[in-house]
Amino acid sequence: MWAYIVRRVVATIPVMAIVALFVFSLLYLAPGDPAAVIAGDQATPEDVERIRASLGLDRPFLVRFGEWAFRIVQGDLGVSIFTNLPVVTMIKQRVEPTLSLMVVTLCLALSIAIPMGVIAAWKQGTTIDRIVMGVAVLGFSVPVFVVGYLLAYTFALELDWLPVQGYTPLSEGIPYWLENLILPAVALGGVYIALIARITRASMLEVLSQDYVRTARAKGAGQTSILFVHALKNAAVPIVTVVGIGFAGLIGGAVVTESVFAIPGLGRLTVDAILRRDYPVIQGVVLLFSFVYVIVNLAIDILYTVFDPRIRY
Amino acid sequence: MSATALPPGFDPAQIPPGLAIAQPMPDVLPPVKPRKGFIGFVRRHPTMAIGGFLLLLMLCIAIFAPYLFTKDPTALAPALRTREPSARWWFGTDMLGRDVYSRVLYGARVSLLVGFSVAILASVIGLFIGIVAGFNRVVDSIVMRVMDGLMSIPSILLAIALMALTRGSVQNVIIAITIADVPRVSRLVRGVVLSLREQPYVEAAVAAGTRTPVIMFKHILPNTLAPLTVQATYVCAAAMITEAILSFIGAGTPPIIPSWGNIMAEGRALWQVKPYIVFFPAIFLSITVLAVNLLGDGLRDAIDPRLAKRL
Amino acid sequence: MNRRDVLALGAASAFSAPALAQNAAARTLRFVPQANLANFDPIWGTQYVVRNASVNVWDTLYGVDSDLMPQRQMAEGEEVSSDGLTWTFKLRSGLKFHDNEPVLAKDCVQSLKRWMARDTMGLMIRDLLVDISAVDDRTFKIVLRSPYPKMLYALGKNNSPMAFIMPERIARTDPFQQISEYIGSGPFRFVRNEWVPGAKAVFQKFDGYVPRDEPANWLAGGKRVLIDRLEWTVMPDPATAAAALQSGEVDWWENPLSDLIPVLRRNRNIRTDIADPLGNIGTMRLNHLHPPFNDVRARRALLMAMSQEDYMRAVVGSDDNLWKALPGFFTPGTSLYTEEGGEVLKGPRDLEGAKRLLREAGYTNQPVVVLAAQDQPITKAFGDVTADLLKRLGMNVDFVATDWGTVGQRRAVKAPPAQGGWNIFFSWHAGADCTNPAAYQAIRATGDGAWFGWPNIPEAEAKVAEWYAAPNLDAEKAAIRGLNRASLEHVTYAPTGFFLGYTAWRSNISGIVKAPVPFAWGVSKS
Repeated sequence: MWAYIVRRVVATIPVMAIVALFVFSLLYLAPGDPAAVIAGDQATPEDVERIRASLGLDRPFLVRFGEWAFRIVQGDLGVSIFTNLPVVTMIKQRVEPTLSLMVVTLCLALSIAIPMGVIAAWKQGTTIDRIVMGVAVLGFSVPVFVVGYLLAYTFALELDWLPVQGYTPLSEGIPYWLENLILPAVALGGVYIALIARITRASMLEVLSQDYVRTARAKGAGQTSILFVHALKNAAVPIVTVVGIGFAGLIGGAVVTESVFAIPGLGRLTVDAILRRDYPVIQGVVLLFSFVYVIVNLAIDILYTVFDPRIRY
Repeated sequence: MSATALPPGFDPAQIPPGLAIAQPMPDVLPPVKPRKGFIGFVRRHPTMAIGGFLLLLMLCIAIFAPYLFTKDPTALAPALRTREPSARWWFGTDMLGRDVYSRVLYGARVSLLVGFSVAILASVIGLFIGIVAGFNRVVDSIVMRVMDGLMSIPSILLAIALMALTRGSVQNVIIAITIADVPRVSRLVRGVVLSLREQPYVEAAVAAGTRTPVIMFKHILPNTLAPLTVQATYVCAAAMITEAILSFIGAGTPPIIPSWGNIMAEGRALWQVKPYIVFFPAIFLSITVLAVNLLGDGLRDAIDPRLAKRL
Repeated sequence: MNRRDVLALGAASAFSAPALAQNAAARTLRFVPQANLANFDPIWGTQYVVRNASVNVWDTLYGVDSDLMPQRQMAEGEEVSSDGLTWTFKLRSGLKFHDNEPVLAKDCVQSLKRWMARDTMGLMIRDLLVDISAVDDRTFKIVLRSPYPKMLYALGKNNSPMAFIMPERIARTDPFQQISEYIGSGPFRFVRNEWVPGAKAVFQKFDGYVPRDEPANWLAGGKRVLIDRLEWTVMPDPATAAAALQSGEVDWWENPLSDLIPVLRRNRNIRTDIADPLGNIGTMRLNHLHPPFNDVRARRALLMAMSQEDYMRAVVGSDDNLWKALPGFFTPGTSLYTEEGGEVLKGPRDLEGAKRLLREAGYTNQPVVVLAAQDQPITKAFGDVTADLLKRLGMNVDFVATDWGTVGQRRAVKAPPAQGGWNIFFSWHAGADCTNPAAYQAIRATGDGAWFGWPNIPEAEAKVAEWYAAPNLDAEKAAIRGLNRASLEHVTYAPTGFFLGYTAWRSNISGIVKAPVPFAWGVSKS
C-alpha cells in the first residue's frame, strides 16, 4: 500500500510540471499589455514602453520561464504587476473565503445529494425517484449565475432572510460566517448535488442487487440500516470518485459565484487578473487551483484503499 | 447483461423508464414484446423522446429564426430601450433598444453551434488520441501525461485562460472549450480501448497477425462509438453552459453576436428592474441543455445499460 | 479632533442618539468605488480610481475648489518674483506624515520631481526648470527659464497624476516603478494590511492631520474627517451593489447605473443625486494615420451621421436629465464652453450625405477595425452603437470586442489596421479635465506626439498656443472658440456627447458633495 501511495505521489510531479509549462506559455502568448493598463488613459506611447521595460515584459520566453519555474519551486509566485504585492500574499488574503465556500458547498451537497440518491435508489421507479432524478437533471441544466440571481432576489431582497453579498470571516463567529455563505453555496452546489445524487443512485442500485444485501435483508436488518450502513459503504468508491472529479466544476463555478455574491475569494481574483492581464497572479492562481485539484484526487485515490481494501493497483 | 436481482413482486413491464439511470434489463424474464413504431419508441424511451423533441424544436427555432416574426437582432434603437414585453416586443427590448425576442431566437444558433461543434470536435479528436494512446505505449505515456496535466486545470479556468489568448469569436470559443474537453473524452476512449484489447476476439485477431490499423478500425472503433456518443451529448450540454459562462464573465462570444450568454451578461446589471432580459435567454438555455441531457440519458439507457451504471 | 470638529459633528448628528455615534459601526463609512483599486501609486498609475483613493492619503500643496481655481492647501503662501521666474513656497506648520515625521520642504521637492516626470503640465514645467530646491525646512523654491503662469493650477489640479506630496524616501522611487510604502500626510491613513486588491481597501482617520480653517471646498479648505474608518468594498457587479445598498450592507455607492436609480429611489432609506456636475465627455477616437480616416472627409462623414442621442442613451439609459448633445469638445457649464463650428453635430443626421462623403474620400469597403473594450460599460455601449452606425453607412466593420488592457496596448500601435493597428477606439474624459487645453491631452493635435490617433492639425495647435498666451478670459474664450472650430473641422476626435452619472447613499449619511472625486472628508454617518 505504501509503495502504491509513493508511486501515486511521484506520478503527480510530471503532471504539475506540464501544468506549469502550459500555464506559463499560455499567458506568455496572451495579447494585451499590462503596461498600457498601468499607464492609464493619458499616457504617451513612450510611457508605455518605459513601463514595459521596467516590468521585464520585453525579455525572451525561455529566460522568463526558467526564472519563473525556479522561483515557483522555492514557493515564490512573484509580484503582481498591478498591486505590487507578492502573489503569495494576495492568494493568502483570499484563501479563506474560497475555502469556506467550497467546504460549505461540499457539506451541503453531500448532505443533500447522498440522501437524495439513496432514496431514489430505494424507491426506484416510483414518482419520488422520478422527481429526484428530474431535479438532478435540472441541476445540470440551469447555469450557476441564473440560480444565484434567483436566490439573491428571493431570499435576500424579497424575503430579507440572508445577506445579499459579501463575506464575514470565520473569526467573527460561525453564525455570521455561515449567513453569508448559504446562498452562494446553494447556487454553486446545484450542479454538484445533481452529479452526486445521480452517481449515488446508480451505485446504490448496483450494490442493492448484491448478495450480501440480500443476506442482510434476510437476516432481518432494518431498511435504514441496509441502505445507509451496508449498501452506502459499499457504494462509496464511485461516489468519492465523482466528488473528486466534480471538484473541478466547483472551482470553475466559484469563479462565477464569487462575482455574483461579491465574495472576495480566489475566483474573483482570477477573473480580475485575467481581465487586467496580471500575468503573475493568473499563473499563481491557475497553478494553485490545479495543484489543489491534483491533491484532492490523489487523496481520493488513496482513500480507495480505505473504502475498499480489495482494490490493489 | 449483469444478472439483475429484482425486488420481490417486481414486474419489469412496470418499470417506468422516466429519468431512470440504470434500468435493470430483465433478461432472466420472458422478453417483453417491443411495440413497433413511433408510439412504441416514445413509450419505451420517453426520456429520449422528450429530449429529442425539445432539441428538435430548438433546432427548428435556430434554423427558421428569420421567418419566426423576428426583426434584425442587432438593430439598435436607443430611444426605445428597456421596453417591457408587449404585443410589439414579445420579450421586451434591451438596454440598447434591441428586440429581445429576435435576439433570443437567433441566440439559439450560437448555443447549438457551439454545443454541437464542441461535441463533434472533442469526440473526433478524443477518439483519435484515445485509440492511438490505447495502442501505443510510448504515445500513451507522453500524451496521457499531457492530458492529465490539462485535466488538472479546471475546465472553465482553462477555457477562460485560452480565451484570454485570442479575440472573442464563436470559432475561438469552440476551440477553447474543445481543448478543455478533449482530455476527458480521450481518457474515456482510452479506457474503453484498453478493456477491449483484453477481449478474446481482439486478442485472437492480434494472435492471427492482423495489422494494428485494421484491428483499430474494425474491432475497436465500432465498440467505442456507443459510449462516445453518450459522452458527446454531455460534452454538448456542458459546452453550451460553458459558452454562457464565458460570455457572462466577458470572455466569450463577441457581443455583437447575440448569444444567450451575451444577452444574459448584458442584462445582468438590470436583473432587478428588467428581469425579462435575463429571464428569456435563461429559460431557453436551460431547456436546451435539459433536452440534450435527457437525450443523453435516454441514449445511454438504450445503448448500454451497463454503461449507465458506470457513468 | 478639535472642539470645532466635535461641535460640527454634534450638529450634523443632532437628531441621533449620542450613544450611537460612539458605535464603531456608525463611525465606519462603507463605500463602493467605481472600480477596483488594483494598484496604489497616484503618479505611476493614472486611473481615476487610484486618484480617488489617493486624495484620502496624500495631500497637495494647492487644491482646486469647485470653480477649479487653485487654493492653498499644504502651502501657507507663495511668492513669485516680478519676472515670473522664481517661485517660493512656504509650508504651513503642523503638517505631519502618517509615520509622525514632519513634512519638510525636501519631501515636497522630491515629490514634485517625481510628479513632473509623469504629468503633462509637470513635463512643461520640467522643460522650463532651472532649479528646484529646499531653502529651509518649510520653504522651497522653483526657478524657471521663462514664466509659467499656470503653476498653481498645475500643483492643485484634480486630474491625474496630481502633485501629491510624499516623504522624500518614497518619492525617490523611479516614476516608472510603483511605490511600495503608502505614507502620506492626508486626512486618512492607508491600512495596508487590510488591503485586498480587487475586493477591499481601508482608510483610517489620521489623528495627526490638522485641517485648514476655511470650510472644505473640493480639494481646497479644511478636510475635516467625521468618521473613524472608510472602507472601500469593490463590487464588479452593479446588481450586487444595488442590492447591498438597498439592504444597508453598504452606505455609499459611487456610480450606480442610471437604470437602477428608480428602484433605489423607491427605497426610503436611499438618497440619489448627480455625482459630478462637470460630468464626462465621451470620445470616439479616429486613427488619423491610415485610411479611411486619414482623409478628413471620412472623419467628417462620421460626424454628419452619428447620433449623439444614441450614444448617450446607450450609456445613461432613459433619463434625459443625464446627458446633453455636445457639439464641441469642452465641458458644458464651464467658462470656456463653446459650440463654435458645431453645426455638423446638430440637427437631423445625414446618412446619405455621409455615404457620399465617404465615397469621395475613396472608401472602397476596406475593413474598419473598431476596438471596443467590453469590461467598461461606457466603451462597450459606444462600441455597440458605432458598429450599428458603420453598418448603416455601408462600411465593412471588423469589430474587435476585447478588454480595456488590450485596447490600451493596441491603440498605441501606429501600424496599419491590418497589421495590428486600429481605426477606431473609445474612451471618455472627466469633464473636470476638459475645461481647458492644459489638462486636456486628447484635444492636442501635434501629430506623432499627440494622444492615440495622432491628429496633426496645425490650425488647432496654433489656437492652443494662443490660449496659453491669453492675457485674460475674453482672449482665452476667443482662442478656445477657434480651437473648437478647427478641431471639429478637422475632427481631432468625434465627441459622443456629454453625460452625467449618479451617486447614491443611505439617508443616514450626510455631507456628500457634488464633485469629480468622491470626497470622504466632511461626510458623516449617524
